[in-house]
Amino acid sequence: MHIAEGFLPPAHAVGWTIAAAPFVVHGARAVVKEVRENPESTLLLGAAGAFTFVLSAIKLPSVTGSSSHPTGTGLGAVLFRPPVMALLGTVVLLFQALLLAHGGLTTLGANAFSMAVVGPWAGYGAYSLTRRLGGGLLGGVFAGMAVADLATYATTALQLAWAHPDAESGFLGAAVKFLGVFAVTQVPLAIGEGLLGVLLFRVLTVNARPELERLGVLTPSPDDDAPAVSRDKAPEGDR
Amino acid sequence: MSGLAIDDAAWASAWRPRSPGDKVLISLGLVLSALLLPVWPGSVLVGLAAVGLAVGPARVPARTFGRAVRAPLAFIAIGALTTVVEVGGNGVGWAPDAAARAGSLVGHALAGSAAVLLLATTTPLSDLLPALQRLRVPAAVIEVASVTYRMLFVLLTSLRTIREAQTARMGYTSVRGSYRSSGALAAAVLTRSWDRARRLQDGLAGRGLETGLRVLPETLPASRRFEAASVLGLATLAAVSLVVA
Repeated sequence: MHIAEGFLPPAHAVGWTIAAAPFVVHGARAVVKEVRENPESTLLLGAAGAFTFVLSAIKLPSVTGSSSHPTGTGLGAVLFRPPVMALLGTVVLLFQALLLAHGGLTTLGANAFSMAVVGPWAGYGAYSLTRRLGGGLLGGVFAGMAVADLATYATTALQLAWAHPDAESGFLGAAVKFLGVFAVTQVPLAIGEGLLGVLLFRVLTVNARPELERLGVLTPSPDDDAPAVSRDKAPEGDR
Repeated sequence: MSGLAIDDAAWASAWRPRSPGDKVLISLGLVLSALLLPVWPGSVLVGLAAVGLAVGPARVPARTFGRAVRAPLAFIAIGALTTVVEVGGNGVGWAPDAAARAGSLVGHALAGSAAVLLLATTTPLSDLLPALQRLRVPAAVIEVASVTYRMLFVLLTSLRTIREAQTARMGYTSVRGSYRSSGALAAAVLTRSWDRARRLQDGLAGRGLETGLRVLPETLPASRRFEAASVLGLATLAAVSLVVA
């Protein structure tokens, strides 16, 4: 759910751009530092951006009959950490605006704030908390992806409510309206995206354990979170 | 055919050899006019100008442009409708100036979207990204974004091929199966993206990659006439809108 071009009044468009800017600049600094230390990470980060973009082409069947696409912000936060996601998410939003006509240029700041800043941080917080409380990798991934999705949607609804308050009941009334209208698609989507994350990580822990270890998602010692630890010991010659 | 209609249109557009700066000038000018000028007649004029320039001199297929404008339509309609429904002490009803408010929101949003599309359907992202350097975006960030642009089509093709194979094997016949297939699909595309990045890296390292991915940028010279016409057109549009409104 991206705010379309022209949907926010000028003051809000400028305000959200200023609000998102420090996070995006911080992410850009992290990327510049990373690339200076390991020049090969340019390609890995580019691949991560491309994957985040392509993820929106996966359609999840939704309870409401329609199908929605995952936002991928939670997944990106778990795999690549929120600061990097602030930059990659903004790049992906720019690409979505210019290649798919989703979102816009003056609303890029507002969309970046909800989807590249609030979503990843909330999702990463839920993921870390769940893992620390003993929820395991898959529990953490489910919580991270579902919470990132919900936080993104709630932020967007509040941004819209602030920009277009209800004529009678003001901001609060408008917040209830926007949260309610978009809940129909977004709440099932958040649960669906959490499930997708679990299924995805079940495959990754078997097929891509070295990559997950390199990203720090899994510790190098055998992890009993993984559903298929025994299979995991199979030789990984082809990777 | 790259698989994204807007990108295909951008490469085929008659404005493709124009300088990206020139196209940014006219498109961003129209985007800002759509945002700042009163909806009548400002947004209407911006919409007409954007569509006219795209399907006229830039020769973007009208079908592609029309289909792309429809993309944000669901959001615009639901958003505008939600805005003008009033929630108060006596239940739910229409806001007093519902039609005017909804019309203004839809007008600004549609005109703005058309103006963004004018840029999107005439300028490939690979032309636009190097131009970001002038806005002092770090070179490393532009490189990451350029790799993203070049890799996303490969991944999109992978995604479609895998999904086709899964569909042929009844992978999407039930909700449960759809989720399992989607999870496997995402995992396959993600591991492929890593694999591809690693192989590209190996290839580049073998060719002596030390600092950035340097490529020779195509020089697309700016046109003074085009710039003057853009500024004049935008000024006329703004003056007419402010006088009529």
